[in-house]
Amino acid sequence: MAGALADIMEAARKETAKRRLAISSVKRPEMEIISRAAIEGLIVPVLVGDGKAMEALVKKSALQSLEHEIVDVKDSGGSLRAAVALVREGRADMLMQGADGQKMFMNTVLDAKTGLLKDKLASYISVFQLPKSDKLILVTDTFVNNYPGVTEKQLILVHAIKLAGLLGIEAPKAAVLAAIEQVNPNIPSTLDAAILSKMAERGQFGNAVVEGPLDIDCALSHVAAARKGLKSDVTGNADIYLVPDIESGYLLAQSLVFLGKMEMAGVLMGMTKPVIINLPFVSRENRLVEIALASLL
Amino acid sequence: MIRSLDDVSRIAGEKGPKKLAVLAPEDDEFMLAVKRSWEAGYIEPVLIGNAEKMDELGQKVGFDISRFERIIENDRQRISDLGIGMLFSGKLSIVSKGQIPTAYVYRSIIRAEAKAASGMTVSVVSFWEIPGLGYLTAFTDTGVSIMPDYRTKVDILRNAVFLYHLLGYKKPRIVVISGQRKFGGTFDSHRDYKLLRKAADAGEFGECEIVDATSFTEIFLGPKGRLRDYRDIDLAKIPHIILVPRLDTGNIMCKLDFFLDVTRCSIAVTSRGAVCIPSRADFSDSIITELAMGVVVADRLEEEVR
Repeated sequence: MAGALADIMEAARKETAKRRLAISSVKRPEMEIISRAAIEGLIVPVLVGDGKAMEALVKKSALQSLEHEIVDVKDSGGSLRAAVALVREGRADMLMQGADGQKMFMNTVLDAKTGLLKDKLASYISVFQLPKSDKLILVTDTFVNNYPGVTEKQLILVHAIKLAGLLGIEAPKAAVLAAIEQVNPNIPSTLDAAILSKMAERGQFGNAVVEGPLDIDCALSHVAAARKGLKSDVTGNADIYLVPDIESGYLLAQSLVFLGKMEMAGVLMGMTKPVIINLPFVSRENRLVEIALASLL
Repeated sequence: MIRSLDDVSRIAGEKGPKKLAVLAPEDDEFMLAVKRSWEAGYIEPVLIGNAEKMDELGQKVGFDISRFERIIENDRQRISDLGIGMLFSGKLSIVSKGQIPTAYVYRSIIRAEAKAASGMTVSVVSFWEIPGLGYLTAFTDTGVSIMPDYRTKVDILRNAVFLYHLLGYKKPRIVVISGQRKFGGTFDSHRDYKLLRKAADAGEFGECEIVDATSFTEIFLGPKGRLRDYRDIDLAKIPHIILVPRLDTGNIMCKLDFFLDVTRCSIAVTSRGAVCIPSRADFSDSIITELAMGVVVADRLEEEVR
């Protein structure tokens, strides 16, 4: 079971087959990251864009002496579409966002006809390494879905449970967060949480234990939960934190990074092939972990 | 300017004791906090709740409660109404929630504000002390408004700025948080940010500044920055007041003290004084700090009135 982000790197290194990673709009920062991933033996980079510019970048990088491929696409606006097409056609195994703008990249990969979306929705999971603890936690959805209803949250939770399984957590404990731990019909997040919790009780999430609604103190502390009269295996020991909406999830993920200085790597779920997005609050070091994580999917 | 919770404790000791109603001190952590706050000279408690439980807990924590005013009441809403009623009638300076769900307390406050025709929007400010920062930062509203609209956010922000002015911050910096990203459409919370910024520039909240950012990424990295090294994160960039878009967001954020190296202290702002809002899961050390903050706010309010 992965208890640290380093364990994810280690697990990816043990994967025998290197994955072909397509990336467009490569600039120096991306080149540094994919070069390191190639040195680690995780990937074979497939650089999509202006051939001469790509070659010039490669010559200045460690990739020069490593296996790689350049796909020449003259039209700068078309390089992302070409990279997505390579993945769709099976000529690459995963896609990484280069310097393309967030809006264009997300809209392209999530396009129902020409993108890489497999499920009814995609979701983003932030994987955090707890400080002073041999444990990873998954916080979701921290980037994609704005105000998911219970149907969407069901799928977001399924994605998180799937990732937890890949990380070796066989019976993950999920805390469905809300403002309070009691069901209040005026607070929609508490209703969604109660429904998901009941679905889990009926076995609809397999081995996962799902508890909600939980406020964050109950989710984080078994003692705090007990003082509020809550008894659950999830409190104080959750593997998955399902947030009510993006207003909470986006801020929570950034808070753990900036205020908690917790190491984080993210992954997009619900896609036909792994997609690595480029968020500014993921450190360069952890973008390497994201490549490793994607290669395990 | 009150820069830390140590400042709060020191001033509470100097300005106390103040009469404070405790709503249902029916848990040993709450009773212990009341005892220690009384011993520190912060408060003179009025205990409202179940007689047997209060007696039992008083004995358990070694606190002779027979010397204090006690109001025996078992009904949760009635306990809350009694305490808030005493605050609004001027019989005491502060109220603190005990082992009672917060919804009862907010209901009492909202009813009392309506009766007083104050026009006040009740909101909760949850202060954080972050070690080494040298000032208090706070999330609001962390307790009352589930999905506040623009007008409600104006009131929430006005309450928070008032509280910061009261604590000696001449021009608090504010971030209006929004979940809006570069993709995913436009958000009401982002529209509200723009409107609130205009209102602040027009002086609607008094002396304050709403910063040009709606996320921690923009605050800590700037509009086009990228995190390189965790050691580069400068916590001093965090503004004083963090206005959250929704109750879910506020409540989840403010109680991250169970996770992060911060200390929390929550106060509800009412037209008649402070109401301390410890979580029912809080421990006595944290509750004492909240009571001390209540004393300081009550003292500064009385000073304003004088």
